[in-house]
Amino acid sequence: MLEIKNLFVKLAEEDRQILKGLTLTVPKGEVHAIMGPNGSGKSTLAYVLAGRDGYEVTDGDILWNGESILGMEPDERAAKGVFLAFQYPMEIPGVAGLTFLRTATNAVRKKRGEAELSTPEFMRVVKDKAAKLNIAVEMLKRPVNVGFSGGEKKRSEILQMAMLEPTLCVLDETDSGLDIDALKVVSDGVNALRSPDRAMLVITHYQRLLNHIVPDRVHVLAAGKIQKSGGKELALELEKSGYAEFTGKAA
Amino acid sequence: MSVQVTKTKAEQMLTEAFAGAEAALPGSDAVTKLRREAIGAFSALGLPTRRVEEWKYTDLRARLADSFPVAMDSVSGSQAIGGLLDGTAPGLLPGLNAYTIVFVDGALEPRTLPEDVKGLEVLPLATALESVPAWVEKALGETARPADAAVALNTALMAGGVAMRIADDVSLDRPIHLVFAQSGSEPKLVTTRVIVDLGARASLSLVETHVAMGTSVRQQNTLVTLALGEAAQVAHVKNLTVDKGSIHLSNSVVRLGARATYKPFQMTTGGGLVRHGLDLRFEGTHASLDFAALALPDMSGHVDTTLVIDHRVAHCTSRELYKCVLDGTARGVFQGKVIVAPGAQKTDGKQMAQALMLSPEAEFDSKPELEIYADDVVCGHGSTSAEIDEDLLFYCRSRGIPKAEARALLIESFIGEVIDKVEHEALREALVARAGAWLRAGHV
Repeated sequence: MLEIKNLFVKLAEEDRQILKGLTLTVPKGEVHAIMGPNGSGKSTLAYVLAGRDGYEVTDGDILWNGESILGMEPDERAAKGVFLAFQYPMEIPGVAGLTFLRTATNAVRKKRGEAELSTPEFMRVVKDKAAKLNIAVEMLKRPVNVGFSGGEKKRSEILQMAMLEPTLCVLDETDSGLDIDALKVVSDGVNALRSPDRAMLVITHYQRLLNHIVPDRVHVLAAGKIQKSGGKELALELEKSGYAEFTGKAA
Repeated sequence: MSVQVTKTKAEQMLTEAFAGAEAALPGSDAVTKLRREAIGAFSALGLPTRRVEEWKYTDLRARLADSFPVAMDSVSGSQAIGGLLDGTAPGLLPGLNAYTIVFVDGALEPRTLPEDVKGLEVLPLATALESVPAWVEKALGETARPADAAVALNTALMAGGVAMRIADDVSLDRPIHLVFAQSGSEPKLVTTRVIVDLGARASLSLVETHVAMGTSVRQQNTLVTLALGEAAQVAHVKNLTVDKGSIHLSNSVVRLGARATYKPFQMTTGGGLVRHGLDLRFEGTHASLDFAALALPDMSGHVDTTLVIDHRVAHCTSRELYKCVLDGTARGVFQGKVIVAPGAQKTDGKQMAQALMLSPEAEFDSKPELEIYADDVVCGHGSTSAEIDEDLLFYCRSRGIPKAEARALLIESFIGEVIDKVEHEALREALVARAGAWLRAGHV
């Protein structure tokens, strides 16, 4: 279970408060959506969950399975099961996709006390999972994300997620830059990972993604805190009314 | 040019070292004359300072406090060379199936000279300097009347080395690996010369490894001349480690015939002072140079790579890719001068120098120079210097890769591009392993 308790976050370099008392609970087996206008702190929440530098938690806590993760390095969090699918996946010139996947997979397996995958085992697993996401293994021989289209980058993120078998999946604006076909492939990939052992937090500006990844709960994030929570129908309401009611101005 | 009145201690010692060693240095009367002219040139030039443009970032006069005793090509051949021959000694390239010729403190191990290789003539340097066949005479002519102090000192003091000639249309089945090992505990001045001459359409993979086996500090001066006949091809890998306190001055003097291709690659590690010079001249049209270098100095190392590429004729191509990873107070220097002569139309020249800075105290000096006297040419250059990208580092770590491993991965990706230029697979893998060992030695 993910428990975010009264979280206050500011930028480390400047005196600007982004999250102002955010409280949220996501039980295992559930998919929660966070919706909100631009600048409401959605991406900050995603980065703070993953442990990126540049943010300072001034109050509150984040517990994952009852344990605070705030003091953990990003790689320790990954080993604990936290995974962030980036809004803008990074390109790593000079590192082949397969090398990257294998290094990451074996690093988390090692930390989790599982046996590292041998090359043939790894190749079998990666081929199987890549096929389900319409990713050709040839593409993974190229440097990570270099020259990939927006859709290819997002599918590559979901493949990483499938390989690392996280228990807390945070998807930051996964629908941005996707056409309708790519959206379906990516959503199918995410849905395939839904499981009673896994919690998911889907961050999005638009309701469109939630037609494909149907959430158990929807939360509205505005001005640094959760303003309203409800069922999946809340997303449809927001699509009609916009975020004006939460920001005091038209979004 | 100004006449230097005051000589430094090192300058004096080097001149005296020549006087003391001259009688024992090998060579015919003509070679003796060359040596005397060279030491005369050195006396006039003095050790280079920052005022000499080619040495702007490596003040040898300031860095060289004194000279070490001269090592002669007369050392007994009794040193343990097993590990040098099979590539298992540290710093060597295991798995490289090559004709390996071993030099210990500059002295040739005669047992390692390859025999009966069809199309290959190979002479110990001393023999070549006594008999001076026409191709050796021509090679020596390329370094006569030197304008560079390191070249002058090499000509004056060259003691050990080898001269090789490959006949027209001959491609050797294996690389030739020249292993220069430094042994013992006494400081020494080691001066070596390698002469390589390739006939038309001949091809050669030449590998040089310079490695310290003992504990002594060295001043090493090494010079390779390469003459490539029409359509000849040379891949020339230089792999060296120069320890702290040691100085390695190297020069390559390369002349390319029409349609010849020259692909040098240098990988330098260690904490010493290293200077690589390349003086390359295109003498026939449609020839090409594909230069790549990787400097991985230790914390206090200094690696200077200075090229002068002379496009004397039309339709030639030159490419230079230089990368360095700098930690501690290490310093990387890249100077790439490209001269395009008035008639050298359709010249295509590009160079790129990139530094990855691991420490705020490290320094990278990069100076491209283009002197273009022809009007129909394409020439470009670029230079970058950057730290490890924090965003990329976070991306890797968010996938569970620990910090040190993520840094290593990103550094490897930076240097991968340049090592990939080495086409010989076993050699490339050995170099990748060497770079990996450097990384794991505390640089991530």
